[in-house]
Amino acid sequence: MIIAPMLTRIVGHRRDFNIVVLGAGGVGKSCLTAQFVQNIWIEAYDPTIEDSYRKQIDVDLSSLDTAGTEQFTAMRELYMKTGQGFLLVFSIISQSSLHELSELREQIIRIKDDENVPIVIVGNKSDLEEDRVISRSKAFSVSQSWGNAPYYETSARRRANVDEVFIDLCRQIIRKDNTTHAQREEDPYAQYRDPGRERHAHRKRKTHRRKREGGCMIL
Amino acid sequence: MVMADEHSARSSIHVLPLNILKDHSRTSSKDSKHSRNMSSKGSNRTGASANSQSQITPPATPNGSQEDLNQQMEPLQPVFHNFLRAFYPFHPTYAVADSTVTLPLNEGDVILVHSIHTNGWADGTLLASGARGWLPTNYCEAYDPESMRNLLKALLNFWDLLKSGLATDNEVFGNQEFMRGIIAGVRYLLEKSNSLTRESPIVQGNDGLRRNRKALLSDLSSLVKTAKRLQEYTARPPQTETEPDDVNNTVDEMILKAFKIVIRGVRFLDVWEDDCRSRQPYNRVMATVAEEVYNPPTPPADSTSFDGSQHGDPAYDAVSRRSSRSSATGLSGSQPSDEQTKRQSYKRMSSAYSSNATTSRPLSMTRPASIHMKRQSVSHRLSLTASIPAAQRENLVSEKLNSSHDTFLSFLGSFIGRLHLQSQSAAELLFSVKQSVTAGRQMLVVVEAICAHDRQSGEALEASRAAMYDRINKLAVSAREVINSSAIEGDDVVMPQQNSGLLTAATSCVKAAGECVAKTKFVIERIGDFEFEPQSDNLGTHAPAIDAIVEDQSGETKALESTDEVKPVSPSPPDIPPEPASRPPPPPLIIPTYEKPLPEVPTSSTSPDEEESQSHLLPVNTKAMQENEMVESATTDSSMGSSRRSLLPPLPNMTGPLMTSGDYSPSEISSAHDSDFQSSFRSGSIAISSTGTSSTYLSGLRDSESSILSQASTRATTPDLSQYVPRTQPSISELSLSGSQSTLADEIDEGESKMLEKTFAHELLHKDGQITGGTLPALVERLTTHDSTPDSMFVSTFYLTFRLFVTPVDLAKALVDRFDYVAESPHIAGPVRLRVYNVFKGWLESHWRDLSDNEALSVIEPFATEKLSKVLPGAGKRVLELAQKVTSTDGPLVPRLVSSMGKTSTSLAQYVPADTPLPPSYMSKSQISVLKNWKMGGSNPTILDFDPLELARQLTIKEMNIFCSIMPEELLGSEWTKRSGSNAVNVRAMSTLSTDLSNLVADTILQYDDAKKRATIIKHWIKIAHKCLELNNYDSLMAIICSLNSSTIVRLKRTWDMVSQKRKDMLKTLQSIVEPDKNYAVLRRRLHDHVPPCLPFVGTYLTDLTFVDAGNPATKQLPGVGDGEGMSVINFDKHTRTAKIIGELQRFQIPYRLHEVPDLQEWLQAQIVRVKSSSEHENVQQYYRKSLLLEPRETSHARTSPIEGQSPFSLNQKEKFDIFGWTHSREKAQSAPTSSI
Repeated sequence: MIIAPMLTRIVGHRRDFNIVVLGAGGVGKSCLTAQFVQNIWIEAYDPTIEDSYRKQIDVDLSSLDTAGTEQFTAMRELYMKTGQGFLLVFSIISQSSLHELSELREQIIRIKDDENVPIVIVGNKSDLEEDRVISRSKAFSVSQSWGNAPYYETSARRRANVDEVFIDLCRQIIRKDNTTHAQREEDPYAQYRDPGRERHAHRKRKTHRRKREGGCMIL
Repeated sequence: MVMADEHSARSSIHVLPLNILKDHSRTSSKDSKHSRNMSSKGSNRTGASANSQSQITPPATPNGSQEDLNQQMEPLQPVFHNFLRAFYPFHPTYAVADSTVTLPLNEGDVILVHSIHTNGWADGTLLASGARGWLPTNYCEAYDPESMRNLLKALLNFWDLLKSGLATDNEVFGNQEFMRGIIAGVRYLLEKSNSLTRESPIVQGNDGLRRNRKALLSDLSSLVKTAKRLQEYTARPPQTETEPDDVNNTVDEMILKAFKIVIRGVRFLDVWEDDCRSRQPYNRVMATVAEEVYNPPTPPADSTSFDGSQHGDPAYDAVSRRSSRSSATGLSGSQPSDEQTKRQSYKRMSSAYSSNATTSRPLSMTRPASIHMKRQSVSHRLSLTASIPAAQRENLVSEKLNSSHDTFLSFLGSFIGRLHLQSQSAAELLFSVKQSVTAGRQMLVVVEAICAHDRQSGEALEASRAAMYDRINKLAVSAREVINSSAIEGDDVVMPQQNSGLLTAATSCVKAAGECVAKTKFVIERIGDFEFEPQSDNLGTHAPAIDAIVEDQSGETKALESTDEVKPVSPSPPDIPPEPASRPPPPPLIIPTYEKPLPEVPTSSTSPDEEESQSHLLPVNTKAMQENEMVESATTDSSMGSSRRSLLPPLPNMTGPLMTSGDYSPSEISSAHDSDFQSSFRSGSIAISSTGTSSTYLSGLRDSESSILSQASTRATTPDLSQYVPRTQPSISELSLSGSQSTLADEIDEGESKMLEKTFAHELLHKDGQITGGTLPALVERLTTHDSTPDSMFVSTFYLTFRLFVTPVDLAKALVDRFDYVAESPHIAGPVRLRVYNVFKGWLESHWRDLSDNEALSVIEPFATEKLSKVLPGAGKRVLELAQKVTSTDGPLVPRLVSSMGKTSTSLAQYVPADTPLPPSYMSKSQISVLKNWKMGGSNPTILDFDPLELARQLTIKEMNIFCSIMPEELLGSEWTKRSGSNAVNVRAMSTLSTDLSNLVADTILQYDDAKKRATIIKHWIKIAHKCLELNNYDSLMAIICSLNSSTIVRLKRTWDMVSQKRKDMLKTLQSIVEPDKNYAVLRRRLHDHVPPCLPFVGTYLTDLTFVDAGNPATKQLPGVGDGEGMSVINFDKHTRTAKIIGELQRFQIPYRLHEVPDLQEWLQAQIVRVKSSSEHENVQQYYRKSLLLEPRETSHARTSPIEGQSPFSLNQKEKFDIFGWTHSREKAQSAPTSSI
């Protein structure tokens, strides 16, 4: 959240980003998304409306969650195409859910044709510590091998780390977006971008993450 | 500004009594109060108050309230309280000039607060009268006793609901749900005070408590009845455009009734607290209790008014001020002599009983017209009927008083309501005024009877009666004025802006009536209730007489019409009043008046005879009054006749006690009054007749009158009138009719047991008329309501989803409990038990699931044999039969229709008429033979061999077969996502088929090495997809598009170059339909209100169901009582949402009417089997590799698939740009016009 105002400054104006949430069935993807989009349960959550998966945090973020349609494997690509950033969610109490992520990641990279596509790895259900089968170090080493993707442990149920996950991903997308623009030499945001500040943001993120991860993040 | 000047001038009296001590003594004299105010507090408070005032718009500070500023006040409450209670009376005596309205308060009044201004004034509604205005919070304290909390909360909800403009929403009123909060609140109050049953010692021991309790319940039952009527209104299809008025009137009525209930509750609690405090709760003397009951709470009548010494002089002043005022405003210049008389009469009257006249210190006069005019201050009713045998109750004077007061208020209420309307004809206006006046007189008759019964109290009552009399008079005068003026201007329409005088008059009528009734009740409590037989004779109906009148009327109407313009303004005739001496019971038939003012009317001579024959019981001056007060022309006397029978005029009330108490000279007073009324009303009548409103409203009046007071309606004889009578009229009369009925003895009993029925309604959460949460007992209760058919959506949701929140065994137990505890409320036991049986029956027949539900049979079977059979033998037997059948049969015994939540595939012909011929299949002979050949082991045909439409059809049939067999339970609790042992076989089959179809598309394209051939296949699939769209088969469409858009196919640049732009555009269009953007906005819009046959994309439903499940918690909290956490209840809203989504899906579970081509189906199936491989992942990889083989990467170092998992850093920047380059080239390829195929 600390980073949020900075995003605005970097971006200069509001942009639309699509985040795709992927993971095996039953890892709590939907909870994660619902929690993030909703923040607080006000009355009731209605997933059938257009804005169900949209949230504005300085940028306009749409998340596309495949929950419920995991078995429509042919559809995955459809989702993946639309996303600029990906949350790969597994459950720390399910070994296979982590395995399935590797498939998904491969598919993403193939479709995006980009090894450095913004990805955040999420180990959900951190509240079920006693049932944990995937250790932090294991998960972290996996995330390292995947292009050093940030790893977070979340509890959608307790709403722990939920916003952080999305914001980190969002930050990655923006950075990538800006880089791409810069390299194409048609960066309309150059005037807004202050490299020093960006570095600063980066540093901040690291400390931020280190705090959250309790030191398991190696940078 | 003018404001400021005014301020400085008045600042000393503007002082708010901000520090009044909570001291109820009223001993200090007026003078001392005043001076103390000026000295002690005025000094330190004046500045601030005047200061704040100048900044504030809303409330005008009360203008030097004559009420006692000497006492101190509690500090303001920082918290916002919804309810306040006045602990000190507040009666602003200045007339309010501008639009601000201050509410007068009496000690004990309870106020519903809408907002509190920072200056300490609150915008509130006085529960006692329903009036809304500004009131000083420093006169009030927060009112929130624990045991009242639920009731107060319920009232708030009630208010919000009814005032929210949902009044015409059938959903809300279609069931009686919105009533339950109030009922539960009352129940809670009684529960908390240990008075739930009549037999409880505390109730038995305290007479006042018992009576209050009774009154509370009878009011509650009256509200329930009104609500029922509202339900009937809304259940009916709207017949006329005025229908909403009906409903709105009823809604207003209900709000007032709800207010009344709360006031009752407050009073009850007061008595109860007294009782507890006294620690010697039993054996009280009745009189004492009665006083206690009276003392603390609401009545608008000043309790101070009974000790007249306090006020001393103002009586005279008040009266004379009033009379002069009325002469200034009420009477036109045409009648100076009349004014004279009037003033004199007041003087005489006031001097005659000056000490007692304090009660008439006309608060109503000085009170501003309230914004919400329907001040039906019905709160002063005290039912004293508890100890009296039921049969006699209706004749009790208290009941008469109540019902006549109710009637009066309903008429006035509707009258006031109508004044706010855009405009109305003079006829309508006059008609309403007449109704009100007549009703008012009837009430005065009752008061009169009470006066006569007890002389002492008669004296006390006299003044308030006089006040009421005066108000009614004023009302009539204002009405006449308005009508006169509009008549002069030559139009028949009275504009709203002319109504302010009328409004004031009508409002003060309400007020005066309230005071009068309150006082009368006080008297009744002192002297005890008594029967009121003779009057009830008069009040009764004489149907033949009415008929006679009707006949009479028709003749008179003609006469009236002929004389319309002839009538002059008559001078006031002081000689008219009948001799006072002739007043009392044995009525000499002197009918002196009407010939004088209206001699021209030819038929007038007949009417006296008519009257003589009809009204021999009436005191003569009554008759005179009647004639004078009501429309005076002789033509109307037939209607007078009818009204006389039903509604006794006010004058006897005046004269009764006056006669008997000899201190003053009754004759003088009464005669003076008579002349007043005569003159004013007579001129009113002239206005009426000159405006040309003839018999219409008269008979309308009679119509409604008779319906109020008698079962024998005259409607049949005047059928043509209805169109002239405003729609509200019948409803009002109905309303008051039922109002008075509700006080009948047996209904009270019924009401009582009804209110005290065991209920879990307070454990239920609502929103917008729908149930959003509740405990299991509360939900089960809702499922088995006695008074309304349970909402079908609720029932089907419950059946579908209950296994998510309760075990079948527990549900069965809860139902049995319901069956048991309803026995405590015998009047509803019958219907409820029947519903319990029906729930079991529906469950067993259509919603039984062997797997989970069979264990519930251990509860159901014993229940059927032991309990149900005893009450409903047939039902018990049926349940037993069903219970045996479910164990032996697979699947539901009685399949449900599509619209319900059960099994769905049975009612097929619902949308497609069976006689429509099936479209012929597009199969040529050669195609058929190709398939035959294939079946014989010949070569495998390609999709190109078949027509796209036929392929699309067969795919649709294939998918629809699976789709239609999806059971609702497969969609619950994310069953289909379970990794192993999922019962959602059909959902699984659906997604598998969808994926297989995608694979088939990729497979068929990739099987050719020749790019041109691949392009041909792509083109063919685009056509098939297009046909799928035409068939509304979105599921297959999605599968095909997904495949064509997959990275495997999309990357085949050379192939796509050979696809025509036309096909690419087509594909683009199709793509945009299934685009997941904005949560499938396009697709959702299409499916919304889509008519079957249609095969929607199942994925969106599955995602929605997943998110409803994940995004909504299983339980909700009830709002806590007090500081405690609320109870945790089932979040039924979640299940309703689930059921809605499933219902949406089920809506489409209707097969297509298409020819199945078995050979083609077989071939398709074979192809699908062929492309199926052990793992999806393998498939994807395999196809991608093939794609790479067919059209290798264009970059120099042909990269193998990233699946191989090399180091991510192996790619350099350049390569990455090549990748982007590929992306762009593809886009170019797609947009570039190419000539191929």
